[in-house]
Amino acid sequence: MKTVLIEHLARVEGHGGITVELEDHTVSKVHFEVFEGARLLESLVRGKRYDEVAPILSRICSICSIAHSLTSLKATENAFGIRISSQTELLRELLYLGESIQSHALHLFFLAIPDYLDSPSAVALAAENPDAVRLGLRLKKLGNLIQGAIGGRAIHPVNCVPGGFGTVPNVDQLIELRGALTEAMHDCGAVIELMASLPAAEFCHDDTVYAALFASGPDTYYAGDEVIVASDGERCTVRAADYRNLTNEKSVLHSHAKHCSFHGRPFMVGSLARLTVNPQRLTGRLAEAMKRLQLKFPAANPMDNNKAQAVELVGDIERAGEIVEHLLRDGVQDERPAAVPVRAGTGTAITEAPRGLLVHSYTYDAGGRVTAADVITPTALNAASMEQRFRRVAEQYEGNEDAVLEKRLGMVARAYDPCISCSVHLVRTR
Amino acid sequence: MKPVLAIGLGNPLMGDDGVGCIVAERLVTDARLPEYAEVICGGSDLLGCAGQMEGRDRVVVIDALQSDTDPGNVVRLDGADCGVEERQDHAHHLSAVQAMRLLERISSIRCTLLGVSISSATVGSSLSPGIEAQLPAILEQVLEELGRHPQENRGLV
Repeated sequence: MKTVLIEHLARVEGHGGITVELEDHTVSKVHFEVFEGARLLESLVRGKRYDEVAPILSRICSICSIAHSLTSLKATENAFGIRISSQTELLRELLYLGESIQSHALHLFFLAIPDYLDSPSAVALAAENPDAVRLGLRLKKLGNLIQGAIGGRAIHPVNCVPGGFGTVPNVDQLIELRGALTEAMHDCGAVIELMASLPAAEFCHDDTVYAALFASGPDTYYAGDEVIVASDGERCTVRAADYRNLTNEKSVLHSHAKHCSFHGRPFMVGSLARLTVNPQRLTGRLAEAMKRLQLKFPAANPMDNNKAQAVELVGDIERAGEIVEHLLRDGVQDERPAAVPVRAGTGTAITEAPRGLLVHSYTYDAGGRVTAADVITPTALNAASMEQRFRRVAEQYEGNEDAVLEKRLGMVARAYDPCISCSVHLVRTR
Repeated sequence: MKPVLAIGLGNPLMGDDGVGCIVAERLVTDARLPEYAEVICGGSDLLGCAGQMEGRDRVVVIDALQSDTDPGNVVRLDGADCGVEERQDHAHHLSAVQAMRLLERISSIRCTLLGVSISSATVGSSLSPGIEAQLPAILEQVLEELGRHPQENRGLV
């Protein structure tokens, strides 16, 4: 028997590894081992007041702090029956877009692209292809600028509160955003051309189940309440409140992240799932980008998630520009957050974090304090799918070089853009 | 924009690891700070400060350095002097030295690193007595570095 072991996956967030065992070239065992320690953040918010929950749970992740904060607020608002204004919806969408832009830029340029170019890191890539790193930094800076203007600061927003925002952006801030977004539109072509120039990466093919929020309008990250699960040309709908019917979590002995499956099959969330579930988005520049990247659906190659992120970068920048133009044209009302009618109840929200579906669900007592909390992150949803893909990579590798197999496994892992720390949300002691 | 930027790095919740940030805090209120110098605390992410470095003549980074020399000893390193690990293990950010090297490669930003030798970094919101006692001397050396006449103008990114 031979074992191929990646003890620590590099260039992903958190601590995880992959073990592949082969017997006479037949794959006998594949484990995606998440050995990150328990976070216990859901326990931390028990007993906390409704307005303390989002700031605490945004700490689950610094890359996705906006997603956690806004999803938390949406769940709380659902529990209390709060309706937010259309201006708040628009500003939250813009904030979400800012996070997606910075997150996709970080992942593509600093974590994923070095793989394709045989570069060990973005630092090394900066010597070989400084223009690519400059491009990534410009886009990351744009995302941070949006997050700072709307959320109050780039990481862990302080301006998002139940019912709305503490303050709204002023005209000068919006004009600055418009200028930065206009410049970024010029960068979009370079992003797609760079992605199109990368060597092909086809390490496994597999029929895939995709799950993403259905977008009935232009907001593909925050609005909406229905998850579509798509596979084999079929689509099933799961409402946010019924999220356990989607996740079906179960503990596995070899990992601190639970495994999820829908109708017995692991599923993939993230950029590729969003585009697969919402093909109505794929017009104009997005359609052109898809064509240039030869990205077609249904995609059977998990590496296509990187291409999908590039397509989304173009769409996110375009949509953020539209929102800023709208706000400048119609003006921003200095409105106060909606009133919070505290009551006992449960609220659930599902949104699209940059890495995919994110679930927050809370139960409050009559005094507005949390009695139960459940948070399921994209990487937890993806963990079983990742493990299945690692098995396919090992099965479909026809060579005999461990280093090549290790590199392929690592690249597929990074294509999922995992945030391993976030994926740990309960450890069952035995 | 002031031509000289000092950036204190570190995590103040990890004891002596936060010495760079503590030095930055003390500098802000120190009457000896030259008028041409601005001081910020960069937390643990130097790359996140790249936007604030653009257009400066000089950037001085103060960070904790785990070494065998006496605690509080200050080592001066220009970017090119620092050995750097090209491999990148984490997603969230690069090490300070990796970030300095990356910025060197894609921009005209050049940093001088003042490494403050520490013996350990453990959970806690205060400095060890040894480092605390050395703070006046550390501040002196940082101020001396900030007082160096700019050797040459550095351009924009």
